[in-house]
Amino acid sequence: MLHVKIPTRKEVIEEEKSKGKRIAAVYPIHYSRELFRAFNIQPVEVWGPPKTDTRKANAHLQSYICSVVQSGLSFYLEGYLDIVDLIVVPHSCDSLQGLGSIFKDFIKPKQELVTIYLPREKNKENVEFLANELKRIYKQLSQLCGFEPDNERLMEEIKTEEEIDTLVLKFYKSRGNLPLSSREFYTILRSREYLPPDKFKSILEYALLHASKGKLKKTGIVLSGLLPEPMDILDVIDDMDAFVAIDDMACCMRRVYEEGNSSDPFERMAERIVNGPPDPTKGNSFDERFEFIKSLVDLTSAKGVIFYNVKFCEPEYFYHPILKEKLGKAQIRSLIIENDINEPLPQQTITRIKAFIEMIRELS
Amino acid sequence: METVKSIGIDAGSTTLKIVGVNEKGKILFSIVEDADPKVEEQTERVLNKLKENYDIESSKIVATGYGSNLIKADKKVTEITCHAKGIYEYFKTGGTAVDIGGQDNKVILISKNGKVIDFIMNDKCASGTGRFLENTAWRLKIPTEKMAELALNSDGEVKISSTCAVFAESEVISHLSRGQKLEHVIKGLHRAMVKRITSMIYAVGFNPPLMLSGGVAKNKAVVKMLEEELGEKPMIPENPQIMGAFGAALIGLSQ
Repeated sequence: MLHVKIPTRKEVIEEEKSKGKRIAAVYPIHYSRELFRAFNIQPVEVWGPPKTDTRKANAHLQSYICSVVQSGLSFYLEGYLDIVDLIVVPHSCDSLQGLGSIFKDFIKPKQELVTIYLPREKNKENVEFLANELKRIYKQLSQLCGFEPDNERLMEEIKTEEEIDTLVLKFYKSRGNLPLSSREFYTILRSREYLPPDKFKSILEYALLHASKGKLKKTGIVLSGLLPEPMDILDVIDDMDAFVAIDDMACCMRRVYEEGNSSDPFERMAERIVNGPPDPTKGNSFDERFEFIKSLVDLTSAKGVIFYNVKFCEPEYFYHPILKEKLGKAQIRSLIIENDINEPLPQQTITRIKAFIEMIRELS
Repeated sequence: METVKSIGIDAGSTTLKIVGVNEKGKILFSIVEDADPKVEEQTERVLNKLKENYDIESSKIVATGYGSNLIKADKKVTEITCHAKGIYEYFKTGGTAVDIGGQDNKVILISKNGKVIDFIMNDKCASGTGRFLENTAWRLKIPTEKMAELALNSDGEVKISSTCAVFAESEVISHLSRGQKLEHVIKGLHRAMVKRITSMIYAVGFNPPLMLSGGVAKNKAVVKMLEEELGEKPMIPENPQIMGAFGAALIGLSQ
């Protein structure tokens, strides 16, 4: 057990505002934190949040839209985002693109609305496209903030993010040596969604100081999906004397980007996102996703993969049958479950997770 | 007084099953009761009653089923693992085990050496479960046991399009109000249920032989239709309802 005090989103927003910073509410998944930080804007991500009453959003959205988007819109409509200065909606999937359009055409928020059109697939043309998209956003932010950060300032922020990505990877690699429950590990990791970089970095460094030499003697699991909500799923895994050894989740590992090569800040930011880990919303091939998940299994000696899907998340569903088949051929067992981030875990789902862990333990 | 080495308790959604075995895994007793809402009190009562005839003082207790969290036990194991263990030890073969319970269905692939290699179970939906038939039987005021007989003796079959336990009930009423014969509708209802189960079997990958457990395995119409749909005669234990509790008791032996 490691006691780490992590400020809440509300505390961070209040503190950063008192320092004169602007706050951006950022919807999932990919965006360049560094671009916003160069404008003294603190990004605070909105992944739902879970357990939100979604009735207000239901008036705008079809019933087959996922609970991340349903909750995200309701959260805004309930007034919880009144405090923020701008709203950022990346075009990560059809539902999030729809959310961007609803904001623009129907809700017309008082805050500045920033949309990001993300390209798919890794190639030079897509890096160029995204670099131009980031330049467009740069202009929009310049008008809002009244200044234009120079390339040096942009590169400074990029380097900070790259440093943190390296540290996050170290944190992942030390997972088996850290005296943290899966819930604690992901609470720390996900605080990056709203903490300023220096604060997040110091929390990670503090946690890493407590890494021991002895590895956890528990059954390791790779968790794949959007986000580990409700977090009870992590407790269910831990209760079975297992743990999440590493993940392939949109909120976490899929956004640990490699260092860019370009000396042009816009191109470098674009390279980082385009060349990042495989992601269903980026349309990576089945092979790329399989190889990535397999590399996570190999790295951590995990015994199985749990695909934890948010109900109605089409990009994730698309890959499941093929990935399950490919993993099976590689003797890696996998389980597909789905849930709504606003609902408690049903007993049947808990039974399936437990039975899966019993099975992989017996087979290993 | 015979010594019970291990006791398996399967606290299911509709019934409580308790099985005691000796050190060789031989079943000494089995009890099946309708589940009480307070399953912990019910279990305690049954165990106290057993003390009159058996020595259970040093018995290992392994609990499974939805109510297992409420039961005092040495170990808690999921229904999937327990059913697989019970079925494998009963038939001494791997294959596809299908447990059709009151509230959920499980299809479990068992390896030649008795290990679970894959499984599937329904969640958030009661279609194809025992409750699916029970609901309609209750609505039509027909004893559940009589449902299979009506389906088996029917000379026709009405297609039931909905496999949702709630919507199927209204579909049945609608067919009857349009003058369809009761037995034709009930046969169609069984077919819908079996099709749902076979789709689960195909989803996980059918590997013969087919072995059934759970209370619905006693329904001869379901068994016959499963054979028709899969082209494979199901193997059924003498008392299919207790396979989960039997498996739990066997797991207790290795504790």
